[in-house]
Amino acid sequence: MTAAMIVIDAGSPVPPFEQLRAQLARQIQDRTLAVGARLPTIRRLAADLGLAVNTVGRAYRELEEAGLIETRGRAGSFVTAAGEEARERARVAAAGYAAAVAALGLDPDEALRIVEAALRSALPAGSRPENRS
Amino acid sequence: MASGSERERPLDVRRAREWLGWHGLGEATPTPLLARRLAVRRRARLAHHVMLAVLILAAALVQLHNLVSVTPDGSGRGWPWPLVALTGLVAALLAGRALLESWVRRVDRQAGAALTRRAAHPVQVSWRELLGRPYAACAAGIHAAAFVLAAGALAIDDTRVRYAAVVLLIALAGVGVAAALELRDLLARPVVAEDEVSLTADVIMRIEDAHEAVSPGMAWSLPVVLLCGTAPAWWSLTSVGLVPLGVAAVVLVQLRTPGSAAAARRLVGAR
Repeated sequence: MTAAMIVIDAGSPVPPFEQLRAQLARQIQDRTLAVGARLPTIRRLAADLGLAVNTVGRAYRELEEAGLIETRGRAGSFVTAAGEEARERARVAAAGYAAAVAALGLDPDEALRIVEAALRSALPAGSRPENRS
Repeated sequence: MASGSERERPLDVRRAREWLGWHGLGEATPTPLLARRLAVRRRARLAHHVMLAVLILAAALVQLHNLVSVTPDGSGRGWPWPLVALTGLVAALLAGRALLESWVRRVDRQAGAALTRRAAHPVQVSWRELLGRPYAACAAGIHAAAFVLAAGALAIDDTRVRYAAVVLLIALAGVGVAAALELRDLLARPVVAEDEVSLTADVIMRIEDAHEAVSPGMAWSLPVVLLCGTAPAWWSLTSVGLVPLGVAAVVLVQLRTPGSAAAARRLVGAR
């Protein structure tokens, strides 16, 4: 079982807000954090992680802009279904692409190379396939 | 866990090792940080027990004063002052509890500041998760039963019993308010952890502190201590009956629910 936790390393070259944003985004996307899960308040998470309130606030704001979380007034911030919807749309698009590859009689390896090239040109540098271990 | 700069007694470190082993975290190193946090909690818990003992003694003294100075028809009574003094003592004990909490929190804050890596939960832990619904229901039920008993004694046509019932209500209210404040503070206490093991240890400490805070021992013992024998037989029997019933309920809940270590692993692992 993967532990659901956020780890902030003060010695990392990655800024704390980006460490926090990236970890929360990944846990929302890989469903470690369920849709509807309530995140800690900004003040609370800042105290838990020894960060400034503004740092956590910035990470939450970016997650909100990406549609991964939503803030419902005083009730707090909650994980939205956006991550799952996006994954479902990607799955449907992939199935369509696979059907087209089969109809055209393309080699699967070549089809994968085409996808990788398309991803390289479409995604920002930090999230390209070759940057992932 | 990283080492803290504070001085740790070898005894505290040994106790921390035993604590880790007891909770199935024997593979983890008992760091000075953990030893210090556990030692502070142990001392705070001891002080808490001393305060509860002071409350019982004070309530018993007020009740003794009631027995020697008040007749059943209410003559010769010196009503307000002992009760005012008891209420003042309850307020002082609540203030003492707040000081203990701030001490524990300060030590936690210092421990957290010494860490270069900090870990926390991405989801807020609620009081239900800390206490577990069965334990919370059991503790609330026993406290409620004690309050009902005290209220029942108020209706008895005997001035000494009514006086004792007021003493009991003041003591129970003090215990109840202390439990609620302790639980609120526990939920607000920042996490001090740097990895999965220390996060699990932090949750275990929190769960144990929460169980200790709402422990119903005072609720089932105060009615017997203060009114048994003075009140009518039906009341005394009911108050005595609350003790084995309460103990049985707590034992049953402890046996049928996962321990603090298992609950903490579930909280840390299954979000």
